[in-house]
Amino acid sequence: MLILHDFDLSAECYAVRLLAALIGVPLQLVRVDVYPGRENESDSFLALNPLGTVPVLESEAGLLRDWQAILAYLAIRHDEGCHDAGGQWWPRENPALIGWLGLARDLANSAGLARLHDGMGVRVDIAKCRASAHRLLGEIERQLWFAERAGQLWLLPGDQPSAADIAIFVHAVLCEEGGIERLDYPTLRRWIDRIRHLPGFIPMSGVFAPSPGSVTP
Amino acid sequence: MSLETGRWYPVASAHDLPHGHIYRTQLGLHELAIWRDGGGGVNIWEDRCPHRGVRLSLGAIIGDELRCAYHAWHFASGSGACRFIPAQPDRKPAAAIRAVVWPVAEADGLIWTGQDPQGAPPVLGAGEVLRAIPVGRGADSIANALSALPGLKLVLQPQGPDRCTIRGIAESLSPRAADTALEALRRKLEAAPC
Repeated sequence: MLILHDFDLSAECYAVRLLAALIGVPLQLVRVDVYPGRENESDSFLALNPLGTVPVLESEAGLLRDWQAILAYLAIRHDEGCHDAGGQWWPRENPALIGWLGLARDLANSAGLARLHDGMGVRVDIAKCRASAHRLLGEIERQLWFAERAGQLWLLPGDQPSAADIAIFVHAVLCEEGGIERLDYPTLRRWIDRIRHLPGFIPMSGVFAPSPGSVTP
Repeated sequence: MSLETGRWYPVASAHDLPHGHIYRTQLGLHELAIWRDGGGGVNIWEDRCPHRGVRLSLGAIIGDELRCAYHAWHFASGSGACRFIPAQPDRKPAAAIRAVVWPVAEADGLIWTGQDPQGAPPVLGAGEVLRAIPVGRGADSIANALSALPGLKLVLQPQGPDRCTIRGIAESLSPRAADTALEALRRKLEAAPC
């Protein structure tokens, strides 16, 4: 059984829980009280991950301490459809996957930090975080709009979402908790709706599951 | 800027409204929730549940009704009338309970509304609908700059004193070239002093 050291309000932990649920991999959750408990700075947690970040995954492949490394691990090792050329969740022959994951990390360091600032008192330059986030979201919006007009519903070509979608999604869907409005990003809102309607989707605090019986857009 | 009564304003593209999705936008200072029913009919409603004020755009489309995310009151396509209150399953909701409904026109790939709009929306003609470009400046202050872009038919969606959205169609430019030109225009407008 995979053990996930998890904080329920962390966007990065949610990315891992969500991808695991979509793939159908069970996780055993061990709660780390990051806020307000600061348990991630305790000696016992730092022995596990000296950087003090969540999530951390204990697997047969050893300890994974980076959220995107954990996404890669789940997509490569646990998606039955994954083969040498990659699978649905990790299309490793498409270099754009790396670009989107990098952008997701930038989003974590802007929109994600703005949310931690507003909700958990993390000290940041909030105006700068929000401005950076809007620039990133504007570019995601632009790319999604042209993709959608060409009949492509996900960040990467193909008719299924990938780890890129999940990594961007968790920060995009929570951004309003950091004072970053999605009003100007209508294509992003539609894409969020499509992800919410994926079979196996799980919500978190601040993210609604689709209503039973609702029309899939 | 305040909205002019009698005028049509663009608030969405037709392709912004796949059935099942609730589009969210702002016209003047009014927040709007816009959605299409199963028959293709477009609803433009104030983005506020008459019950507790929660944004209707957080809700869900079930059949030809919008359900509020908070207490799942059902509102009917067309009239906006509340059809069902789950907490009072045996009672018919009072006729006065309804979403605030705005006028709707769909023309040239855009969705239009306004306050008591007269006649038909402006004719843009044939062309591909452009990606909407939000600009951090009021509609009044940028209206003159729009004519500088040949090959495009542009219209403005005013959104309060310091925001608006440029919409329109490409008459002779490709949508990608138009997008690049509009983004450059946006940067120039936002760099200029307010």
